[in-house]
Amino acid sequence: MRVNPNFTPTILTDLWQQQAQEQTAIQQLATGRRVNVPSDDPSAAAADVQNQSQQSQIDQYLQNTNTLEGMLQTADSTLGSVVTALNQAISLGVQGSNGDLSSSNRQEIAQQMQSLQSQIVQLANASYQGNYLFGGTATQSAPFALDPAQPSGVRYNGNSSVNSVQIAQGRSIQTNLPGSQIFQGAGGDVLGALQQLVTALQSGTSTSISAATTQLGTALSYVSQQRVFYGSAVSQLNANQTDLQQEKVSLQTEDTNLVGADMATAATELSRAKTAQDATLAALAQIIPQSLLNYLK
Amino acid sequence: MGSLSSSLLIAVQALEADQGALNVTSNNIANQNTPGYSRELAIFNEAAPTVEGNVTYGNGVVLQQIQSVRDQVLQIQISDQNQQQGNAQAQYNALQQVQSLFSNPTQGIGADFTAFFNSISQLSTNPSSIPGRQAVLTAAQNLASDFNSTEQNLDSIRSGLNQSVTQDVTQINSLTQQIAQLNVKVGQMQKLGQDPGSLGDQETQLIQQLSQLTDVHQTQTENGLTLTTGNGTPLVVGGQSFALQATNGPAGMTDISSQGQDITSSLQGGQLGGHLQVRDTVIPGLLSQIDNLANQFATSVNAAQALGYDLNGNAGQPIFSVTAGPGAASTLKVAITDPNLIAASSDKSQGSNGNLANLIAVQTQILPSGANPVDTYASLVSQTGNLTAQSQAEATASTASLNQLNNQLGAEAGVNLNEETTNLMNYQRAFEAAARVVTTVDTLTQSVLSMGAGVAGAP
Repeated sequence: MRVNPNFTPTILTDLWQQQAQEQTAIQQLATGRRVNVPSDDPSAAAADVQNQSQQSQIDQYLQNTNTLEGMLQTADSTLGSVVTALNQAISLGVQGSNGDLSSSNRQEIAQQMQSLQSQIVQLANASYQGNYLFGGTATQSAPFALDPAQPSGVRYNGNSSVNSVQIAQGRSIQTNLPGSQIFQGAGGDVLGALQQLVTALQSGTSTSISAATTQLGTALSYVSQQRVFYGSAVSQLNANQTDLQQEKVSLQTEDTNLVGADMATAATELSRAKTAQDATLAALAQIIPQSLLNYLK
Repeated sequence: MGSLSSSLLIAVQALEADQGALNVTSNNIANQNTPGYSRELAIFNEAAPTVEGNVTYGNGVVLQQIQSVRDQVLQIQISDQNQQQGNAQAQYNALQQVQSLFSNPTQGIGADFTAFFNSISQLSTNPSSIPGRQAVLTAAQNLASDFNSTEQNLDSIRSGLNQSVTQDVTQINSLTQQIAQLNVKVGQMQKLGQDPGSLGDQETQLIQQLSQLTDVHQTQTENGLTLTTGNGTPLVVGGQSFALQATNGPAGMTDISSQGQDITSSLQGGQLGGHLQVRDTVIPGLLSQIDNLANQFATSVNAAQALGYDLNGNAGQPIFSVTAGPGAASTLKVAITDPNLIAASSDKSQGSNGNLANLIAVQTQILPSGANPVDTYASLVSQTGNLTAQSQAEATASTASLNQLNNQLGAEAGVNLNEETTNLMNYQRAFEAAARVVTTVDTLTQSVLSMGAGVAGAP
């Protein structure tokens, strides 16, 4: 049977193929990726795009979580200070309701009460990174201003809107309570109660002082209830952070499975291609000069 | 009756025949590395005998013909495989450029989408922040310019292919012209029963080059070959070649016509077909998807923006300026420069982020194209990957089968040095033997001439 005497094109094709395999293996080892261009594995390349997008979203959710945590913690501790101040006000009220006190003593207490009142208004105007925390979504101007014309002695300039922020795929968290709800809600009007207590101390009887103090106590427990919102939001964020980190790890694992190179296989493939190439070249060197002419002397 | 002189004639004829055969061997050895060379055979034949009574005298040998070893069927298969290989390789080369635009999962349109929505998400934690708003505009700007550059890059790959198309046409015309010139001569020789030899080799070689470029159909007629394209447009008929014309078509793309008729869409084989396929089908298909994506995404974002209020309390103006139809991606622009104009608020208050949720919702919104923005982009990635992988596989497969066919042809028509050396030795011995016959006849003639020296009556 005749064979093709000119085998170089075939061998060259083989050599090119072996070189291509070598290069692929080297690229995989160098980049750590099995899929370096979409044609390496089109569906994995597309899934990689989606995976990277999800990972990047999770990074953003984690960042949102951190930012919100700072803000919500500030709001929470501010309300903590409000509660402390209110407790002081209540003990002052109890002190003031003592029938043995003289009117000048009560005036003194009333003054202390007023300073607590303005302290609480100040706390209600707390801000975080330039945004007022308790003005609803009107974050750019102080929500509470002292205003003797108001029955509560304070005017609310905020609104009753709330914001929500997405902290995970399909999961959002409410990030604020409007100040009107916290401090002047239907369940307890802190500012109104304070104002009544001041008025009672200034001009009332021990009975009216006692009544106003009781009312302030009710308002205090209402504020404490409202404060729970912030505390639970913070713990929700903490839990969310753990979830996101886990999700990110599993996305990374998934991505490695999708497009990552198996280093052991790539290294084996490289040495296999190299051995094959060496063998081909050695065979070629053996065979090329041979013909009958070598034996005719 | 046999005679010394006829023996001499037979020997001289043999010397001539062997010389001719040595010529053939020498020519084969000389051309062992010439591309397209078919090995030649020296065909010996017995000369017509002389009959005298009951005795038939052989009249020696004649070198009847020098014949090239050809296989028309194999050549047609190779030509077919050449055009498939040329086609797949041309597509693969072009698609590699195309897919490189979609290769990096952390850059480009897909990553820009995510970065854009992330910037909005970031803004939602502090909706009145000017740096946060600026970041949204920057992300929108990045997205728009990646849409612009992706479309521009595809356009420039397309005009590169257009140049290749023009070059292919020039090469085809030059080849058909050369083939036509050879075809006349080869046809005449074949008519006379002569072997076209090296002219035939050259013609075959040129036809193989031509089929690399386009789909060639060949028919043997008595005036030589007739070559046509796949759909029957004549390329070469006898001694005449029909040049293809490259004319300016719509959108700056070259159309190809033959004798006044536009045949662009019918040219599907070979390198030219591959270039046309990517230029006229693959890239326009991708472009229209990218245009739709740009248009539908920008329209959805603008619609969400219009639902809210900016930092000045006004209804949201469009973030993107976008057109519909071809060029949408390359003309996509960010329409606002003032960060205050991002409509984050749902109640006109500056701290509200209510409308940002509407903007973020575009990320998961199913666009009219059938998927959300990132998934639509991911499908472009897998499409270009699939097309490239497919053309790569076809190029590899057709190269392998081309190698196989060329091996088959080489086995038949290639010059085998061992064989030629053996032939060389055979012809050398035969020549030596014939020369010995001449010497022997010479000796015999001397003997005959000296026979007369002893005759009686001689001086």
